[in-house]
Amino acid sequence: MIRQRLNACLLVAPLVVFLGLFFIWPLWAMLVTSVQGGTVRETFPQTAIALADWDGAGEPPAAAGDAIVADLRLEVPTERFGDSVRTLNSQYPGFRTLLPRTARAVREAPAGEKVDLAGIDPRWTDRALWLVMKRAMPAYTDANLLAALDLRRDDAGAIAAVPPEMAVNRATMTRTFVISAQVTLLCIAIGLPFAMITASLTGWKRNLLLVAVLLPLWTSLLVRTASWMILLQDNGLINQALLGLGIIDRPLALIYNRAGVLIAMTHVLLPFMVLPIYASLLAIPKNLLPAAAALGARPWQSFLHVLLPLAMPGLLAGSLLVFMVALGYYITPALTGGAGDQMISSVIAFYAIGTANWGMAGALGLFLLIPTTALYLVYGRLSKPAGAA
Amino acid sequence: MLGAFKLVFGALVVGFLLIPLMAILPLAFTDSVFLTYPMSGPSLRWMNTLAESDAWRRSIVNSLIIGTGATIVSTLVGTLAALGLRRDLVPFAGVLRSAFLLPMVVPAVVLGVGMQILYARMGLASSYTGVIIAHAVLCVPFVMINVSSSLAAIEPALERAAASLGASPRRVFTNVTLPLAMPGVLTGAVFAFATSLDEVVITLFVAGPNQTTLARQMFSSLRENISPAIAAAALIIMILTFVLIGVAKLIPMLKARKAAAEA
Amino acid sequence: MAAPRRAAVRPKADRMQSFIHFESVSKNFGAAKVVDELDFHVGKEEFVSLLGPSGSGKTTLLMMLAGFERPSSGAIHLDGRRIEHLPPYKREMGVVFQNYALFPHMTIAENVAFPLKMRGVGAAERESRTLKALELVQLAHLRERKPSQLSGGQQQRIALSRALVYEPKVVLMDEPLSALDKQLREHMQLEIRELHRKLGLTVIFVTHDQSEALTMSDRIAVLNHGKIEQFDTPTGLYDRPRTRFVAEFIGETNLLPGTVESSRDGEKTIRMADGTGLTCRDASDFSPGASVMVSVRPEMMHVAGAAGENRIEATLDDCVYHGDHVRLHMHRGDIRLVAKAHRRDAQAAMGGAVGVSFRSDECTLVAP
Repeated sequence: MIRQRLNACLLVAPLVVFLGLFFIWPLWAMLVTSVQGGTVRETFPQTAIALADWDGAGEPPAAAGDAIVADLRLEVPTERFGDSVRTLNSQYPGFRTLLPRTARAVREAPAGEKVDLAGIDPRWTDRALWLVMKRAMPAYTDANLLAALDLRRDDAGAIAAVPPEMAVNRATMTRTFVISAQVTLLCIAIGLPFAMITASLTGWKRNLLLVAVLLPLWTSLLVRTASWMILLQDNGLINQALLGLGIIDRPLALIYNRAGVLIAMTHVLLPFMVLPIYASLLAIPKNLLPAAAALGARPWQSFLHVLLPLAMPGLLAGSLLVFMVALGYYITPALTGGAGDQMISSVIAFYAIGTANWGMAGALGLFLLIPTTALYLVYGRLSKPAGAA
Repeated sequence: MLGAFKLVFGALVVGFLLIPLMAILPLAFTDSVFLTYPMSGPSLRWMNTLAESDAWRRSIVNSLIIGTGATIVSTLVGTLAALGLRRDLVPFAGVLRSAFLLPMVVPAVVLGVGMQILYARMGLASSYTGVIIAHAVLCVPFVMINVSSSLAAIEPALERAAASLGASPRRVFTNVTLPLAMPGVLTGAVFAFATSLDEVVITLFVAGPNQTTLARQMFSSLRENISPAIAAAALIIMILTFVLIGVAKLIPMLKARKAAAEA
Repeated sequence: MAAPRRAAVRPKADRMQSFIHFESVSKNFGAAKVVDELDFHVGKEEFVSLLGPSGSGKTTLLMMLAGFERPSSGAIHLDGRRIEHLPPYKREMGVVFQNYALFPHMTIAENVAFPLKMRGVGAAERESRTLKALELVQLAHLRERKPSQLSGGQQQRIALSRALVYEPKVVLMDEPLSALDKQLREHMQLEIRELHRKLGLTVIFVTHDQSEALTMSDRIAVLNHGKIEQFDTPTGLYDRPRTRFVAEFIGETNLLPGTVESSRDGEKTIRMADGTGLTCRDASDFSPGASVMVSVRPEMMHVAGAAGENRIEATLDDCVYHGDHVRLHMHRGDIRLVAKAHRRDAQAAMGGAVGVSFRSDECTLVAP
């Protein structure tokens, strides 16, 4: 018995190690990166020490100026320097020009000579700038997490909202939830009747409907999305057909807007709604609906009091699944949506790929990961009793 | 009236589900430079583009390399783990079982960010190994699901019978368990390959220009310069996927038929 | 097979006007004729069983009455009103289904209250009527349970109570007892009869179990291939089967082939192939020259004494002990015969050749 257990553990071990290394660790690394003080501290090590004792209320210590000059004289990898500049710039617009200019001036100045920072740029006298420097240097920070929610620390260190013109993340998150909810509702509206029809049919008709649900699952997501682009574009098949039939006289805008995103995402996610509902409909004993009718229930009463409650586990599981998967969608909105239809994944991709701001990407990723994982746990709870029964 | 509604609604949804699978395919043979209907004349122009253009040809080769690698890795570790988890002999078997499905659940973009950060540290960024590993992580759940279900379907009496007939545990495994689980392993591998073939998001994060896959190439073409080459690529992906699925479904069927014919 | 013998009751349909009337009703599924030109009446407060082998059309008949199937032709009348076009929920019939069809997501009380709720009965009245219906089957104490927590017999009674709660005009039961074990089934048979009597219900009861039909019904319609072979009281069916199918399907019988030689005042003389003559006095009207079967129940075959005017010789094959009686298996030429006899009578039969006799008024003529 012990031997068998050991064997079983040995068999499972490679996957545990594999996923531990390449699944859990990346997620952990992302989490850590999002709360790490960032590169500013590494880029300006002496400034960090000089500012450590400053309470932020009075004038910045005089040593800080010398420290930053010394730090700027160090050889720093350009990538890290750039990253630091970006981090600082996101808190105090202006660092992007200020730091390279100052660095150039410091390096051009003869070694050992005192450099007059205010002479290079008057902004160095701004206390707020130093405060941003100090804030950007902790070992751990909630700056990214706050920024992901359009919040920041104000000069007093209290949490405050960012200026409205910079507050875009919350809008994106809201949009992500709204689009996911819309897609879920559309999937219910189409999937529930479709599953009911499928369950009510027999023979080849039922099989045809089932194949129609399964085939998309086996087909590449990219191919499907590309197809929708062909169908939905201004001179696409749908507009051509509608124009040809004389229903419309100018093409409908079906793509690069919300309509395109909803149509394509509903198509992709519909099978995840139909299949669980269909399974729970099949589990309903055949004679219950006739029984309801014989007991006096009109068709809509049968639906409301018997069919719907019994299909509810499937409906709930399907809705959770669709909503959960929709939250993380990237490709479909990226290809079929407009600028105003991008979901949180696009923002994350923008930070990670476009600007290499992994702290922000990680923080936003965390706010996507948490609801998804929570929904998955609920989903697991829901589907377990059904599986055991 | 209800019957008519059922018919119309059912037909509409079937159309909604199936038309987008096929709408793009004929355009693989268009003569025009636009990816729209009506298409002009059948031509192999864009198929040739795929074969001759460096970027497309390279991406197809990359997809095959990465897909094969990811399939081998995920099928290997996934099958072993499914075997190990079979009888709840491992502590926390239930937790592990649902944890192994997580790569399917975690949004690809999130995992992509994490992998990008980690790969930068490990020096795996923009390497074939890195992309293969990343794809394998995503493929593992599909292998697990398929292998586990085919293992669960094995009649326990068969293995006991083999043991009572004098087979050692090792021989029970090689002569009974493994052959019976094989269809599941095969299906899992096919799903793994199909998943890798279609994967874009993680590839965006971890692959360098040298590891651009077919799907990644399609994605950037769709964003930047839409051309019928996309339709040709779509056709190739569809054919590859369906041939593989067909093979995975057919092999067990043919075997069964052969066995029936011999019996 | 012990056939229960009850005092012959006059069929209620005789004294009551027709309550349910099937008027030349047919039902086809594609080319298959499942119910074939049926014409029959059921009286008010009558307990009628539809009995037949599977595929005989009995369930289809019930489904047409409940409204789940529409007749291909013909009319169904209930209390003078045509109902064949009405959907099930407008028919006011209580249906008890084969596997009870209790709603798994509702409590027992909710299940029983369901038909009342569908009819818009107010909450207070709903509750009191539900309770009354549950008390009728002595299960009021289980009203908060879910169906899955009940035993098969209890579920059966809930289904019954649910079908009765809105006092339907007719109660239809589709093999309601087939899922219960023997003892429980017999108990439920009595309980359903009791309810039938107490509430004055009109019941249509589908079964393939002939002893169940004989025990419970006022009248039984024996169905075969979509036609009614005989619609009669249990005693009528058992003692005076009119067709070979009925004779063989209800209980057990011996069939002696022959030709009608003469027919006078209901008394017929039948000549068997080997020349043996038999007399039979029954209601059948076969003309001389017709080939027939003489049907004799095993317990009417006497092996001792000269109890009847018909005598035939047979060879004893086996004598099987059954406790309260013995069964004698015999043959005469190609014909196999069975007699049920008292043990002491069986003694006389030992020795190979047996003389069996039966009375001319305890046999029936049926077409071969």
